[in-house]
Amino acid sequence: MVGVDVLIAEDSRIQARILQKRLVDAGHAVRWAENGADALKLARERRPDIIISDIEMPVMTGYEFCKAVKGDPALRTVPLILMSTLSDPIDIIRGLDAGADNYVTKPYDPEYLLGRMQSLLSTPLGDPTQEATLEVAVAGQKFRVQAGRQQVLNLLVSTFENAVAKNQELIAANEDLSIARDRLQQTNAELSDLNERISTINARMIRDLEAAAKVQRSLLPPDDATLPAAAVAWRYVPCQDLAGDFLNFFPLDADHAGLFVVDVSGHGVPSSLMAVTVGRFLSPKVSEQSLLVRQRPDGTVAVAPPAEVATQLNRLFQADEFSGLYFTILYGVLHVPTGRFDYISAGHPALLHVSADGPPAYHGAEGFPIGFVPDVEYAQATLQLAPGDRIYLYSDGVTEAMDKDQNPLGEPALADCIASTRGQPLEATVAGLLETVQQWCRPNGPLDDVSILGLEWRPS
Amino acid sequence: MDAYRRIQTGKTGDVHMVVFKDKKILDDTTLDEIKKEIATLLGKATGPDVLLDFGNVEFMSSAMLGLLGQLHRKITAGHGRLKMCGIRPEIFQVFKLTSLDKLFSIHKDAPAALATFT
Repeated sequence: MVGVDVLIAEDSRIQARILQKRLVDAGHAVRWAENGADALKLARERRPDIIISDIEMPVMTGYEFCKAVKGDPALRTVPLILMSTLSDPIDIIRGLDAGADNYVTKPYDPEYLLGRMQSLLSTPLGDPTQEATLEVAVAGQKFRVQAGRQQVLNLLVSTFENAVAKNQELIAANEDLSIARDRLQQTNAELSDLNERISTINARMIRDLEAAAKVQRSLLPPDDATLPAAAVAWRYVPCQDLAGDFLNFFPLDADHAGLFVVDVSGHGVPSSLMAVTVGRFLSPKVSEQSLLVRQRPDGTVAVAPPAEVATQLNRLFQADEFSGLYFTILYGVLHVPTGRFDYISAGHPALLHVSADGPPAYHGAEGFPIGFVPDVEYAQATLQLAPGDRIYLYSDGVTEAMDKDQNPLGEPALADCIASTRGQPLEATVAGLLETVQQWCRPNGPLDDVSILGLEWRPS
Repeated sequence: MDAYRRIQTGKTGDVHMVVFKDKKILDDTTLDEIKKEIATLLGKATGPDVLLDFGNVEFMSSAMLGLLGQLHRKITAGHGRLKMCGIRPEIFQVFKLTSLDKLFSIHKDAPAALATFT
């Protein structure tokens, strides 16, 4: 296509400039008007070879401009391209009615527009006034259109080409979509793979926790545990799978029984690991680790005084070496023939003593929790039991049990509860105390481990 | 500008003042954050004088005692002094129950505590 004279009617200066540059680069002469009326004036000044017109313009729209060109005997054979968004079939009829020769849908590709221009210029237009009037029905409306055959053909081709171009865009979009879908499927597969791995790990963690809980239960008295000349009852309710509390009682030698309640700070895995570690040192069997008993040179068993046990524990379990974890313990040794009870308390709640006739009374021994202060000596206290006397050891999960308004159960309520069940068997009093704690914590339940250990001295 | 979430800080003379913002110091997350923030505050200072103000604290778990113990050991090891104040009776119970009222230097309020840092 040699250089031709192009007239552009376009109200957007920027779009006109872009189009103008493209056409000038292709070797064409270009004139530009920003509305139909000005464009018509320019066309009448000098007949252009081809007109490219926008539709939405002020003063005179593209349709009106087109009609004016086609109604002007001097201009009617100038090919005219309308640039439309073609969003409505009516647009085509309007274009036909106005006598447009071709459509280019916006946004357009400049190369495509140049191609259109070339095909239009190579097919001379007939005189539309010589053609018959056509009648078309679109969207239930009838239109009477007077247009040249060549124009109709051109328009048909241009709409078809537009349809093809749109179809190609659609195909491309579909391809993108199917690529995206493939990616999505792949991601989904990876996700379900990940999910599977998480549930595998989760299952393993649950198994580990169960195993740890089992190890921890081994720190508690066996179901059939008894002491000579004493009744013992106990309850242990951890607030999570793994607890920091544990308790036990056992004969240490022919005349002595040991009993304790331990409360490691915190809950969960770290506290429970610490509890298990501590538990190994609180064994009634003579071993290198047991702090409770040791073998004399003559082969007999020596029971360590509670104060010595506490001092040793404190030496072994300095909190800084156990990431800040510490524990409290009440450990006592009962001399079974005489009812003498020697004990220590390392930061642990006081024990509750109930004699056969008097009211319950608390007995504490002062001492820091284990691990708080290095190289501290623990002071031992002694309580003389009379036949039928009971003592209760417990963790602070009992006295510090919170009701829904965050009020602790407290020592007086614990003493009242025990006093009210004095006439019942030991087992029933321990069960009753646990029931009281659980009632107090309604509806949320205890937030701390609850340990209770009761003993009644019954010398023969 | 206070850069900490759990503690409010200030300095009176050479004494670092730490006021706990929380009403409840119960869960491990709160405890961990308090621990980190105090560590950041004290930085590498050897043996600083520190006053902990519990005026806002209504509930405190016994795990907090572990943190106080660590602080106590760390500060006294460097010949610094750790004191506490503003502890309400319910919380003082926790200290008393564990005999830690004998270990820590506990005062009624900040002015009373500051007067002892001489």
